[in-house]
Amino acid sequence: MTGTAESPELRIPRGDLLRSRVVSDVGTTLARALDRELTGYATLVPQETLLLEGDARGVVTFADGVPVLAYNTVSDSGGPDALAELAVPGPYRVELYAVDAGALEPAHEEDALRVDPGAAATELADDQALADRTRDAAPEERLDAGGDDDDAVAAFLEDDDRIEAIREQARSEAAERASEWGLDDALVEGNGDGPSGDPPQ
Amino acid sequence: MVEAFAVASGKGGTGKTTSTLALGMALAEEHDVTVVDADTGMANLLFHAGLDDAAVTLHDLLVEGTATAVSEATYDRFGLSVVPCGTSLAGFEAAEPGRLRDVVAELASDTDVLLLDSPAALGSKSAVLPVVLADRVVIVVEPTIPALSDGLKVQEYARSYGTETAGVLFNKVRDDAADVAEQAERRFGGPVLANVPDSDAVRAARRAGEPLLAHAPESEPAASYRRAAARLDVRDGDEGTVADRFRSAVVPDTP
Repeated sequence: MTGTAESPELRIPRGDLLRSRVVSDVGTTLARALDRELTGYATLVPQETLLLEGDARGVVTFADGVPVLAYNTVSDSGGPDALAELAVPGPYRVELYAVDAGALEPAHEEDALRVDPGAAATELADDQALADRTRDAAPEERLDAGGDDDDAVAAFLEDDDRIEAIREQARSEAAERASEWGLDDALVEGNGDGPSGDPPQ
Repeated sequence: MVEAFAVASGKGGTGKTTSTLALGMALAEEHDVTVVDADTGMANLLFHAGLDDAAVTLHDLLVEGTATAVSEATYDRFGLSVVPCGTSLAGFEAAEPGRLRDVVAELASDTDVLLLDSPAALGSKSAVLPVVLADRVVIVVEPTIPALSDGLKVQEYARSYGTETAGVLFNKVRDDAADVAEQAERRFGGPVLANVPDSDAVRAARRAGEPLLAHAPESEPAASYRRAAARLDVRDGDEGTVADRFRSAVVPDTP
């Protein structure tokens, strides 16, 4: 961990490490950044890598506590696409850094990497109240800047591999638990992509 | 005729109970509808339906040896037959989830539409049972990645048990989610039944202990639920066949 995003698309100063830990809920990190009006960034490494085919490492930057940019340094995706890739069930390893005011401004001019102020709370932390609180704290021009939470949702729904991975995982989990719960006989044989089979007999 | 729907979400807080009662009331304009609180671990249908003081609940029916008749736990409210679940931990612990099958079978013999308000998570036998028993599942999601992920998971569980998807209900929609709805239809392979807007009317109804369609029938979300119900296209299942299926469904002995 260098604390600095390697990709040429996002260059940000290393800053001062405030905390480093594994959290089950990214909401605690986002709320902390918001409450202390942090200017800086968080690195997020999902510990659940099954859905991401390898390591993913996200960076979310903040201006006065409000998320500005999102970036995935593994896929080089930015903005809503990066948020969609990072929105997996926890836990995450999180490092939170403070950066001098002004030092992030050049990076923050990169519109393509921008996210809606509340999108990280909604999509990563599944916390609508925190999203509302974040929007309330965001400067007016950020709220009018276009783009919305739906962009990340749309990116997620576009991602064939990701959707298939979720289905695959659910299928095997359902089969595994059916055995555990004595529901084997209610399972449909050869459950695949086609229409559902006959009801359980 | 009878068709059983599980109303499920895969996560809490999506407005499943509000949706179950709203769909129930909308469907009751044409059908005989029975709503069952199958979330035996975290019942809250009774609070939404003004049945806080119900003396007999589903819990009593799920305890062996009480000889409580299904009719005693069935209440006529808002044009629906409502079977609430109790909230006591003791009631939950004494309940045998497997008995839900018999209760549902009996209810199925005397109604057109059975709506099973299902538990939020899929982590136990009792939680997955409504999805196993139902003909089709209505998946309630907010248009967010965590909710859609869980919704896809519920659908896959349902499909594993031969339960089809009736459709996806987008709830608490804040912005126009039309584009996302179109993509979601493709992904779920079932219609998006409606985009129900986030609304104070829903919160007010909840506080009043009344279903949305009774409390604010002219509200925008109420209209959305009516559209969703119209799109469900209830099928004519044979009562006997459906009841037999429930009775013969393989069900675990222990919670």
